[in-house]
Amino acid sequence: MKKILLLLFLGIYPMWLFSQSKGSIDEGVSISEVMVYSKRPMKEIGAQLTKLDSMALKENIALSMADVLAFNSSIFVKNYGRATLSTVAFRGTSASHTQVTWNGMKINNPMLGMTDFSMIPSYFIDDASLLHGTSSVNETGGGLGGAVKLSTKPARNEGFGLQYIQGVGSFSTFDEFLRLTYGNDHWQSSTRVVYSSSPNDYDYRNHDKKINIYDEDMNIIDQYYPVERNRSGAFKDFHLLQEVYYNTGKGDCIGLNAWYINSNRELAMLTVDYGDDTEFENRQREQTFRGVVSWNHLREKWRLDAKATYMYTWLAYDYKRDLGNGIMAPMTASRSYINTISGAIDSEYFVSDKWLVTASLSVSQHFVRSQDKNIILQEGDKGIVGYNKGRFEMSGSVSAKWQPIERLGLSIVVREELVGNKWSPLIPAFFIDGVIIEPGNITARASISRNFRTPTLNDLYALPGGNPDLKSERGWTYDAGLSFAVGRENLYSLKGSAGWFESFISDWIIWLPTTQGFFSPRNIKDVHAYGIELQAEGNLWLPRGWELNLNGTFSWTPSINEGEPVSVADQSIGKQLPYVPEFSSSVIGRLSWRDWTFMYKWCYYSERYTMSSNDITFSGKLPPYFMSNISLEKLLKLRWLDLSLKGVINNLFDEEYLSVLSRPMPGINFEIFIGITPKW
Amino acid sequence: MKRLIILFLLAMLMSSLHTSCMKWEYGIEEEFATSGDGLFITCEGNFQYGNASLSYYDPSKKVVENDIFNRANAMKLGDVAQSMVIRGDVGWVVVNNSHVLFAIDINTFKERGRITNLTSPRYIHFLSDEKAYVTQLWDNRIFIVNPKRYEIIGHIDCPNMTMESGSTEQMVQYGKYVYVNCWSYQNRILKIDTETDSVVDELVVGIQPAALVLDKNNKLWTITDGGYEGSPYGYEPPSLYRIDAETFTIERVYQFALGDNTGELQLNRAGDMLYWLNDDVWAMSVDDENVPIRPFLPNRGTIYYGLTVSPDNGDVYVADAIDYQQPGKIYRYSSDGTLIDEFYVGIIPGAFCWK
Repeated sequence: MKKILLLLFLGIYPMWLFSQSKGSIDEGVSISEVMVYSKRPMKEIGAQLTKLDSMALKENIALSMADVLAFNSSIFVKNYGRATLSTVAFRGTSASHTQVTWNGMKINNPMLGMTDFSMIPSYFIDDASLLHGTSSVNETGGGLGGAVKLSTKPARNEGFGLQYIQGVGSFSTFDEFLRLTYGNDHWQSSTRVVYSSSPNDYDYRNHDKKINIYDEDMNIIDQYYPVERNRSGAFKDFHLLQEVYYNTGKGDCIGLNAWYINSNRELAMLTVDYGDDTEFENRQREQTFRGVVSWNHLREKWRLDAKATYMYTWLAYDYKRDLGNGIMAPMTASRSYINTISGAIDSEYFVSDKWLVTASLSVSQHFVRSQDKNIILQEGDKGIVGYNKGRFEMSGSVSAKWQPIERLGLSIVVREELVGNKWSPLIPAFFIDGVIIEPGNITARASISRNFRTPTLNDLYALPGGNPDLKSERGWTYDAGLSFAVGRENLYSLKGSAGWFESFISDWIIWLPTTQGFFSPRNIKDVHAYGIELQAEGNLWLPRGWELNLNGTFSWTPSINEGEPVSVADQSIGKQLPYVPEFSSSVIGRLSWRDWTFMYKWCYYSERYTMSSNDITFSGKLPPYFMSNISLEKLLKLRWLDLSLKGVINNLFDEEYLSVLSRPMPGINFEIFIGITPKW
Repeated sequence: MKRLIILFLLAMLMSSLHTSCMKWEYGIEEEFATSGDGLFITCEGNFQYGNASLSYYDPSKKVVENDIFNRANAMKLGDVAQSMVIRGDVGWVVVNNSHVLFAIDINTFKERGRITNLTSPRYIHFLSDEKAYVTQLWDNRIFIVNPKRYEIIGHIDCPNMTMESGSTEQMVQYGKYVYVNCWSYQNRILKIDTETDSVVDELVVGIQPAALVLDKNNKLWTITDGGYEGSPYGYEPPSLYRIDAETFTIERVYQFALGDNTGELQLNRAGDMLYWLNDDVWAMSVDDENVPIRPFLPNRGTIYYGLTVSPDNGDVYVADAIDYQQPGKIYRYSSDGTLIDEFYVGIIPGAFCWK
C-alpha cells in the first residue's frame, strides 16, 4: 500500500506543479482513475460526482455553464430566454438550494441565494464537477440539492501562446474569445476575454396573443396570431479573466485569479405584453469582480491551501417609459452593491495509507446595500426604499476517511456553520463505498447527511417584504448507488452509474404575495424529493482514426409537497413542485475522424407544472420538449497556425418551446466559428 | 466502419424523432352564450408569468366557468388581471403588467377591442361612452381614453408624484368630480374636475389608502393599510376614513391596530352597508359611529384576498388565494353569514365585477 501511495505521489507531483487550488492529493487521485479504475480517490469515498469533461466545457465559445449543464447533466435548467437568467433545479430543489463555488469561493449571490449560470462562460471554466446531494457537504454547507464546483487551472504552456475564436451567428450574434498565455518553469500567466453581443431579436409565432383587424367603426373583422420578434432582448456581455501562478518548484504555488464581468442585458418583453417596445426600457446591468489569491503548500503527507478573496457586484435594474416627448422616465431604478471579503484554509493529512483526515475553515463578511425605489416622503423630501446590511458567515468542517482494505472506504464529515450570530446545528455526513465485484470494477456506495440553508439577505431584510423571523431550511438526504467501469486500452471504455436518492426538506422558503401588494417569504413547505439518476459513457476507438463517444444521463425526480395545507382549500399537498420536471434526460454523441468531429446533442424535459396544485390548464403546464443541436468541426494544421472551423445548428428541428411561461425561446438558429492558434 | 457510422446516425435520428411529441393547444375557440346575472372574477395570476385568467359564476345555477377569456378567444388574458368594469354589454378588463385593457362581450366573452400601451393600468372609470379615466401604478399620470375608438387621448398630471412613486387607484364620481385614492407610498385622495380634466384639490389621509367607495349619504370611505414596518414612508396603524364628498373633509377616523391586514372596501347595492377585510370579513352600517367588535365572517385560517357583495341579494363573496400558486377559492355567504357555495377559480382571485 505504501508503494501505491509513493507511486501516486511520484505520479502526481509533476502535475501538481501548476495546480493552483487542490494540490497534489486531488491530482493524485485523478491519476489513479486512469490506472484501470482500480483505485478510488480517498477524498471521494462514497460521493456521487459528475465530472464535466473539457470537451463539454470547451465545445464552443458561445456557451454558458447553463447550456453545458442542460446537455451534460441531469440538472434541470430553468431558462428565462436566450442570454437571460438561467437557474438550476438540482434533484428537484430550488435554485438557491444549489451551492456554487469558483476556485473554492462560494459565488451564490448573498442577496438572492441563487447563481445565474448564464453569466458564467464555459470557456472560463477548466474543471467542473457536480456534487450530488450529500456529497456537497464535503465542499460546502447549504447545498440541499447539491453543489456545482467550478475551477480554473494553469494552461501549462511553455513560452507565449495565443488563441482567438470568432463566432458569427443568427440574430446578428457575435462571440469573441481571446486567450493569451505565457509560461516557464516557475510562472504561468493566462488572460482570457469573452465578448458576446446580439440584438437577440429572433422571431416566433406568438400563440398567446392575436392581432385585431378593425373596420372603420372599430368592429373586429379578423384576428390572427402574429409572428413577433423577441422584443427588447438585446445583450452585451464582457468577461475578462486574468490568472497568474508562481511555482517555487519546491512544493509551494501562489496563484492569482481575477474575473471581471460587465453585462448589459435588456429583459425581453413577455408574449402577453401589449406595450410598445420603443416606449419601454427594461434593462439589467451588472458589474462583478471576483478575485482570489491562493497559496498551495504540499508536503509528502499533507497539504495546506489558503485563500483570500474579494468579490464585488453592482447590479442595476431600470424600468423606464417614454413620456411621449422622447424622454425616458424611470419607473424603477434599483441598485444593489455587494461587497464580500472572505478567507479559507483547507488541509489534508495522510495519517497512514489507510487514513486521510481533512479540515477546512472559511469565513466571509458580506456588505449589502440594496436600493429598490426612490420615493417622495410624506414631508416632501426624497427617500429610498431599501436596506443596508452586513452578515458574517463561517463554515468549518473536519473529516476522516478510512480504507481498512483496498476495496472498502468509509468517510465521516462533520460541518458547522455560523451565520450572523446563529450557529447551525451540527451537519454530519457519512459515506461508505466498496468494490463488490472486481471485474468490471462494480462499486456500491451509500451516504447520509443532514443539511441546512440559512435565509438569504433579501429573505430577511428586503423592503418591503423581508421576514426577519424566517427559520433555516433543513433537510436529510440519503443516497445509494452502483457504478461500473470496464475497458480495453485503445479499444473501448464503458462506465456508468445508477443512483437512488431521497431528501426530506422542512421549512422550505417561498415568497408569496401579501394583502398589501408586495411579496414576503414564509417557511411553509415540507418537501420530499426522491428519485433515480442514471449516467453512462462509452468510448470506442477504431482503426483509421475513427473515434466514437456517447454520453447519456437520465433522471426521475419527483419532488413532492408534503407540508401542512395552507388552508382547507389547499390542493397542493402530495403534488409535484412547480417548474420541476419529473423526468429529464440528455445524450451527447461525438464521432471523430482525423481532424473532423461531428457532434449531436439532445436533451429532454418532461412536462412541468406551473401551479402547486398540478392543475392541467392551458397555463397550468408547460409541454415536454426535446432539443437537438448538431455541430461539425474541422481542424486545419497549417505551417504557421492551427485553424479550426466549426458550424453549429441549434434547435435543429425548429421546436416551439418554453422553459418558463410567456418567455419564448428561439427556433432553429446557426452559428459559425473560426479559431486561430498561431505557432510561434 | 460504415456500419458503425450508420448505426450512430440512426441512433441520433431515433432520438430526434421524438421531437414531434411537444403538443400545444392553440386556436380552439369555445362558444359561450350566457344570460342573466353573473359574476366575473379577475384572477391576477403570477407576476411575470402571464397566467392571469377570468372566471364567470352564475349565482342562480351555482356554476362557474374558469379561464373564459382564453377559452372564448384562444389567446391569453395576460399578466396580472387587476380589475374589471362593465359598461352596457361590454366588460373592460384591466390587465396591469400587459399594459392593456380588453373590451369583451359580457355574454360570449369574445373580445370587442383593446386599448394598448398603457403604463401600468389599475382601474377604469367611465365618464361617457367616449371618455374614461385609467389610473396607473408607476406613473404620475391618469390616462384619458376613448373606449369607442380604443385610443389614449390624453392624460391628467397628478401633483407631487414622480413616475417612480406614481400611484393612482380606485375612482368614484360625485357630481362632476372624480375622486381617486393614491396608494403606493402615498397618503392622499385626489379630486379631479372632469370638465377640465385636472386635479383641483387633494386631501391627506393615512398612509397608503387602498380602496375608495361612495355611500348613499354621499360620503367617501377609504381604508389605509398603514404601510409596512421599516418603510421610509412611515408605518402606522391602518384606519378607515369617512370623508364628506361635498366639502372634501374628513369626518370620522376609525383606527385599527398596528400591523392589521386591512383592505378591500365594498358597499352593498343600497350603499348603506360597508364591508372590508381585516384578516376576517367585517361589516357595519355607514351610519354607525363605531366599528363592530366581532367580525361578520371569521377567518378560515387563510388570508382573504378579495371581497364583493352581491347587488342583487347582499350575498358576500370572499376570495382565498391559498398559496398564490394554485387556483384560488371563492366562498359565497348569505347576507346573514351562512355559507351557500364554494368554488375554485384561477390563480390569485383579486377582484370581482357584477354583470
